[in-house]
Amino acid sequence: MGDRIEKKQQSGTGKAGAFLAERGFYVLGVLLFLVVWQAASMLKLFGSDFSEAFSPWAAALALIEMARNGDITRHAIPSLRRVLVSLAFAILVALPVGVLVGYFKRLEQLTYVVFQFMRMISPLAWMPIAIIMFGVGDVSVTFLLWLVAIWPLILNTAHGAGRVSPLWLNMAKTMGAMDAGILRKIIIPAAIPDMLTGLRLAVGVSWIILVPAEMLGVPDGLGYFILDTRDRFRYDQLMATIVVIGAIGYLLDSVNRWLISKYSWKI
Amino acid sequence: MMGRWDDGSVRAGAKMLISLKGVSKKFRKNGKEITVVNDCNLEIAENEFLVIVGPTGSGKSTLLKLIAGFEAPTAGELRVGGNIIKGPGADRGMIFQEYALLPWRTVLKNVELGLEFKGGKKEAENRELAMKYIDMVGLSYAVNKYPVELSGGMKRRASLAMILVTKPKILLMDGPFNALDSKTKMTMHTEISRIWKHEHNTIIFVTSELDEAVKLSDRIAVMNKAGRISKIFKNDLPRPRFGKAALAPDFHNRFIGLREEVLNEVKAGAGLAVCEY
Repeated sequence: MGDRIEKKQQSGTGKAGAFLAERGFYVLGVLLFLVVWQAASMLKLFGSDFSEAFSPWAAALALIEMARNGDITRHAIPSLRRVLVSLAFAILVALPVGVLVGYFKRLEQLTYVVFQFMRMISPLAWMPIAIIMFGVGDVSVTFLLWLVAIWPLILNTAHGAGRVSPLWLNMAKTMGAMDAGILRKIIIPAAIPDMLTGLRLAVGVSWIILVPAEMLGVPDGLGYFILDTRDRFRYDQLMATIVVIGAIGYLLDSVNRWLISKYSWKI
Repeated sequence: MMGRWDDGSVRAGAKMLISLKGVSKKFRKNGKEITVVNDCNLEIAENEFLVIVGPTGSGKSTLLKLIAGFEAPTAGELRVGGNIIKGPGADRGMIFQEYALLPWRTVLKNVELGLEFKGGKKEAENRELAMKYIDMVGLSYAVNKYPVELSGGMKRRASLAMILVTKPKILLMDGPFNALDSKTKMTMHTEISRIWKHEHNTIIFVTSELDEAVKLSDRIAVMNKAGRISKIFKNDLPRPRFGKAALAPDFHNRFIGLREEVLNEVKAGAGLAVCEY
């Protein structure tokens, strides 16, 4: 059976055929999703009054409108900035902490319960405290995003630093390596695949938390714009914003997947 | 000050470099205590080539790990140059039975690792030196390959170059040529003898192949199943022991003779264990 299918594909219609065979189902999935979305709006699943505005067609038109009048960039750029700034600070703290925690068994035991405990708290729960500390605005949002990004980064880095083979360490020591050299040339490179996995998780969860965090009194950002479109009854724009959020999230994740495939070593 | 079972004397006037006194190593396994190395006494002279042979499970590798400083002895004392061994050090380069190559580095970058740790030299010098040793182990066609792309024998040769390039005073080799094909093995025998002659290292070499032991050694220590050094043979065969020299009938007879003696000792050591347990 398997042979037959393969033969059929080989005798297919050249390049386009090969593309369809390889990527066809990805495209089909997206098309099916659009059909379901359209059906949902036609069946008035979004409510009888506004279903028309929730349709993919309306969203597409709104998307073009928002691209033209600059709404997308006006709100996507502050959102991206907040995520990237918080990620930078998270990396700055999480990578050293993760390496130390992964390398020193006692430090891992010391921090294990607290880290696992903190990790399970939605950063939105800290929101009132963030506002008391930093006031309403950019800093609070960035702080909340930082708080959500550090855990996957710390825990994955620690995991990576912890699984450094004792053989490599012994070998480095017989080569006369000092601690700094072992850290720089063995432990950190060994942990890079796990650091990148941590980064991918951190970006994912930051992007998800971004939207509610931006509903906390900032004057721009995609989260803010969701509330704004709702208040203006522009549900077509709301759907378009949702599409933008998903698309940027997908793009960010693609960048991370690319980093992982490029910088991960294999055994 | 030679060990109890030591009837082979080392070269006259040689300075003692490594000494083991009453060294034992015990492990606990499933609640049972196992003595892997049992009251070993050994003195190794500077620039000596000592080969340790014995049946599998006789504690050869563990003895080497004790000298390397990766394991601490349960009893006894190990010294290098008069100082008690407390851990691994740059004076003792270990060539592992497993491959210690870093998977994210190419062959070339792996061989350069030890030179990077040492520091001081320029990148180009490091590269040149690394290439020399990669060439020596016959891997120049694979310098830019990653460990995952190498066969077992290639990995073995790469790890060999990786340690040799750092020129340690003492070379600890745990079955370094085990997985090599016979042609590469012969090349490596010639090379290791040449390196030893030129750089005056002290080599402790663990193997289960007696041909290899007789070819390379100054002395051959035989370990038995009880983890003891049962006998040390002195190997007086003239060097070089390769090529034309090995074809002389007298040399050949002596070679076979020594190998036979060592083989009988190894067999006795393995048989003893069968009676004991």
